[in-house]
This record gives sequence, structure tokens and C-alpha cells, in this order.
Amino acid sequence: MPLNWVLVLTTFLFCVGVYGVLARRNAVIVLMSIEIMLNAVNLNLIAFNGALEGDRLIGQVFALFVIAIAAAELGVGLAIVLLIYRNSFTVSLDEVNLLKW
Amino acid sequence: MQGLIFLVVAATSGFAAVRLVTNKNLVHAALYLVVTLMGMAIIFLLLTAEFVAWVQVLIYVGAVIVLLLFGLMLTRAQIGKTALDRQQRWVAGPVALVLFGVTAPVLWRFFDGRTISLDRQSGNTEALGTEIFTKFVLPFEVVSVLLLAALVGAVFLAKKD
Amino acid sequence: MDVNFEALLPELLLTLVACGVMTIDLFLPKEKRGLAFPLAFIGVLATLAAVLNLYGQNLTTLDGMFVVDRFAVIFKIIFCVAALLVFAVSQAYLNDDKDVPHGEYYTMMLFSLLGMLTIASSRDLIAIFVALEMISLPAFILAGIRKYDIRSNEAALKFFLFGVLSTALMLFGMSLFYGLTGATNLADISAGLAGRTDIDEVALLAILFLIVGFGFKVSAFPFQWWVPDTYEGAPIPVAAFLSVASKTAGFVGLFQVMFLGLGELADMWRPMFAVIGIVTMTFGNLVAIQQKQIVRLLAYSSIAQAGYMLVPLGVASATDGALNTQIIFSVVAYLLVYAFMETGAFAAATAFGRKTGKYLIEDYAGLFGRSPALAVAMAAFLFSLAGIPPFAGWWAKFVIFKTLIEGDGLVLAVIMALNTVIAMFFYLAVVKKMFVDKSEDTAAIAMPRSLAGAIGIAAIVITVGGFLPNLFGQLAENANFF
Repeated sequence: MPLNWVLVLTTFLFCVGVYGVLARRNAVIVLMSIEIMLNAVNLNLIAFNGALEGDRLIGQVFALFVIAIAAAELGVGLAIVLLIYRNSFTVSLDEVNLLKW
Repeated sequence: MQGLIFLVVAATSGFAAVRLVTNKNLVHAALYLVVTLMGMAIIFLLLTAEFVAWVQVLIYVGAVIVLLLFGLMLTRAQIGKTALDRQQRWVAGPVALVLFGVTAPVLWRFFDGRTISLDRQSGNTEALGTEIFTKFVLPFEVVSVLLLAALVGAVFLAKKD
Repeated sequence: MDVNFEALLPELLLTLVACGVMTIDLFLPKEKRGLAFPLAFIGVLATLAAVLNLYGQNLTTLDGMFVVDRFAVIFKIIFCVAALLVFAVSQAYLNDDKDVPHGEYYTMMLFSLLGMLTIASSRDLIAIFVALEMISLPAFILAGIRKYDIRSNEAALKFFLFGVLSTALMLFGMSLFYGLTGATNLADISAGLAGRTDIDEVALLAILFLIVGFGFKVSAFPFQWWVPDTYEGAPIPVAAFLSVASKTAGFVGLFQVMFLGLGELADMWRPMFAVIGIVTMTFGNLVAIQQKQIVRLLAYSSIAQAGYMLVPLGVASATDGALNTQIIFSVVAYLLVYAFMETGAFAAATAFGRKTGKYLIEDYAGLFGRSPALAVAMAAFLFSLAGIPPFAGWWAKFVIFKTLIEGDGLVLAVIMALNTVIAMFFYLAVVKKMFVDKSEDTAAIAMPRSLAGAIGIAAIVITVGGFLPNLFGQLAENANFF
């Protein structure tokens, strides 16, 4: 399978994730977009692993670590979102704006 | 044959990802994420990374999605339609497009002609395990402590007292 | 597969301490909660002792992933000392603020410190990434640790979103370098990049992605937007911790990747750092002038300081090892001094704020009449940050100027000099408020011994360091790879 097909998919998913982070209002959707970005990175790593010579599995190991850390980050992120919701009853990023210039 | 499967799954995942970031119904967004993540897992299987594929299903589709759905539920996400985007939509769109327009051709051109070998011998999990627990044992241990810290911290932040 | 436990001793010890503090805190009755502070403090002292034991040694373990060399040891010392100072400042803060739990606070700081110690020794992309996350995740928790304060919540959310976004971007860059060279070990990446001429476009893109990730941690433009809000919303000692320790860790990671991994591509990333450094310092200084609140002022000032530390990378060379050594020397020297002056400034702001509850610069009027010692100490820190002799900050800036000029970065040196002058406006404005203006309130500012000790030690260090810069110079000289 050609490597560059996979890389185009990866880049596409990454950019969709970037759009999601920058454009969406709901904090949970932003978290989901981050997950898409991290998945794109994982696919990158696995694809490169398959394309490189040798028997090493560095790419897959890296991907496993990214999955573990992504899960941890999501846990912390949702805890923060819950905290905001409990104190101000909104998770809209537009309304979370007390601190100014 | 694998190329064909890849194209179908890739198109599905890409479509689901786009629907995720553009639709108004938050629970639908979570379900689109499931499609995207499962698509990724299938591609990992295609690329002979079986262990990573199963970890992906277990952790992402299993735990992460459930966590996100709980998050949506506990923050009273409107199940119906909600207002869509912040004003930044008009900035974010071009930024994402430019990023894609710059990165994709560069990567396409450079890695042209390289193929992913799809004939790996069996025993991927064993090789992976050996690799992690010998060469990469430092990051492994740090990740364990990190997970502990994240666990304690997240529970502390989220609990009601 | 060799495991050199002596090399790993500081990290192992710190893990035990962190888990110990966390567990013991579970069983403490409410009145004794303050016990977390001495436990954490002594634990870090023990870790520092273990680090000093490794001074001068050169060990590699775990197949080249964990390296203890002079570079690593110097930074571990900086991290431990900064943590001790921040702990001393925190104790005063925590005793006032009943909302923040002692145990969780110190536990998170200890975990974050563990990540910092690890990154100083990591020479592999995976290890660096994991260590960076180890630093950041507890920091996110710390930013939001005042659970019922909406400003703290907001600070944590902004910090978190920026943090994970830049992590994802950095990872994309790392994956591209893996794809180019087939390795994640920095030495192997360097070997894999040597002599290749066809990779320019991809390498440029990958470097851009990487710089985003590190730029966030060192608060470089345009990734510094989280800094003022997070420093203002989080507890002040946490802001000090982020400003000093977390930023230094970001620089450590940056140096390792840029010099050890991507040294061949210096011609590519050099102009990027030159531009980013200049823009960062200018932005930080210009916006700082308009600030009315002391913590936001210090936040923008710390952004500018990060700019000063980034410009030396703008003269790096792919071939001249001596110049690169000089660059690392100058930034390490600046970081050494910065740790003390920045923590000191935040500590003084904490001392003032906890007694008066006021954080506006206006409120500092006449401080010299009320608490001369505190005013003098704060003035020392501000003078040092501004680069005015005879404090150590002047020498640190001088070293950077010298490096820029030696590396043919005359334009950079001039712009940095201009920035130093601009910065004096707001630093001196605070000093003038304290010494010249009068205030109605005449009560002295009392503070607990730990806080006074931290402020005093920091002030003495930067004063002595200003007269005897060789003390800092010799430490900084030790920190190099080449």
C-alpha cells in the first residue's frame, strides 16, 4: 500500500481536528477534536513504522504511549470541564471569559 | 485489495470526522467519533499493527467514548440542536485549509513511491512487549506515574465535597 | 539491558516521596494537614542530595535513553532549588487559603518536578514527550486547584486547551522526524539526518510543528496567550512554579531536540528562533507597560524574559561547536539567575497580597515606608529582571549580548538592547511607586518565616551573584553537551 495515501488521510484528519479545536464552542467537542488529532499522529507513526526497513517497532511503541497519555489528558480535561460547569453552569467557551487583557 | 479496503475505510473516517466538527447535535458528534476511531482501528489492522488496533478499540472506543458521553451528560448537553460555532469559524476554516494545503502536498511528494509492507510475521505482540519492557522501560515507568497523578488529580478536581 | 540505579536514584527517590506525601496525607487528621509541607520539603532536599551525588559523573543507562551528564545535573539542581523556593512561598499562601488542600497541592508539584528531573536526562523523543506530559498534567491540576474560584477554573481550562493543542502539534512534528530517520533516539536522528539534502521541505515543516509544542511551554509568541490568564487565575505560587520551573523544563527539551537531534538543520531553525525571540520579547514588553495588576505585569514580563532566552538560538550554527557551547552557556546562566529573581518577585507579590489582599500596582505605593525590607527586596528583583547593575540580572543579560555579538547577531543584540530600555519603564514604575509615592496605610507587612526566608535567600543570591558573577558562571559552564 502506498505510504503517501495514508499520509494524506493523516494530514486530513489532523486538519479537521485543528478546525474543531479553533471553531467549536462546546468544550467537550473541542476535546473530541483533540482526540482526532492524536489519532492522526498515531496513524502517522504506524504507517511510518510499516514503511521503514528493519524489524524495529518503535512507531508502534510510540503510538501506544500516545494512546495512554491521550487517555490521561482526556481524564484531566473532562475534570476541568466538569468543574467549570459546576461553578458557572456553562461549557460554552464564549461565556468563559472573565479574565481580560 | 488492501488498497481498496483502505480507501473505503479512509473515506468513511474522514467523512465522520468532518461531520463531527460541523454538526449541531452533540451526542451525534460523539457517535461520529466512534466511527472515526473504529475506522482508525481497522486501518491499524490493515497495516499489521494488531496489538495497537486492539488497544485502540479497548481504550479509545471503549473508555474514551464512554468518558466523553458521561461528560456530555453531566454538563447537560442539549440533545437537540444547539448554536453551532464561535465567531472564529471564519478564521479556523482557512487556517485548517492552509495547513492541509501546505502539509499534504509536501508529504505526498516526499514519500512518493514508498510502500508499507503488509507481510509481517506473526508474534507482533510479543515483539512489541519485548521492545517496551527492555528499550522503552523508562517512558513506561514515567507513564505509570503520570497515570497515577492524572487519576488522583482528576478525581480531586471532579469530586463534590 | 543495563540499569544503572545510581543514575536513576534522584527520580526513584522523588517518586517515593511524591507517593509518600500523597498516601500519608490520606491518613492525616484535618488539623495536621500542614504536615505535607515539611515532608515535601525534606523529600526534595533528599532528592537534591542524590542529584549532587551525581555531579561530575557521566552515566548512560537504559540503552541511551537516560543520560546523566553535566548538562542534566545542572538542570536538576535548578529544578530542585526552584521547587524548594516555591514550596516555601506556598506554605504561607496555603495557610491563608483554606480552600486549597495541602496534600494534593504538594503531591502535584512533586509529580511535576519528577517530570522535570526526567526531561533533563532524556535523550529520546518518546522519553521527552512523556516527560513533558508528566510536567504538564499536574500543572493543569494545580492551575485549577482552587475549585470554587471561577477565575481559577478558567485559568485551568485555557492552560489545558492550549497545552493539549500544542502537544498534538508537537507530536505531529515528532512523527515526521521518526518517518524521516526511522529513530526516536536523538543521537540516531542526528545520524539519520546527516548529509541528506533532499529533505528540506519536510524537515522545515516538521521543525515548525515541533517549535509549536515547545513554544507553548516556554511562552514564546504566538503561543503565549495562556500565560497572563493562567498566572492571574491560579494561586500565585503556582504561577511562580510555572514561570520558573516549567519554562526551564521547556528550554531543556528545546535544547536537547534542537542541538542533539536537529543540530544538522541549524541553518533551518536558526532564523525561526531569531524571529520568535524578537517578537516574543517585544510583545511581552509592550503589553507589560499597560498592566495595572502586579501578577499580570509579572506574567508579561516573564514572556519577555523568555524572548531574551530564545534569541541566542537565533545565532546557532550547524558546525561551530564552540559557538553552540557559548549559546547554551548563556541561556543556562540566564536561567540560573532567572530562577531566583522571578521566584523572588512572585514571592514578594505573594507576601504583599496575602496581608493586604491587594494586587494592583497602585497599592504598592509607599511600601518603603511600611516594610522597607520587602520594598528593597522587591526592588532588587525588579532591577535584576530589568538588567540593571549591580544585580545578577545585569550580568546574565550581558552574557547573552556577548553571545549574540560573537555569533554575528548584531541586529538581534540591538533589538534586545532596545527592549531592555523599554522594559525599564514598567519595572522602574513599580519601584518608583514603592519608594517615592506615599500611602495612607502605614501598617507593616508581616509574613511567616518560610516566606521571608525565601524572599531573603533569593535577594541575597542575586545580589551576591551580581558582585561575584563567577559563581553563576562556573555552574553554567558545566552545562554543555559538547
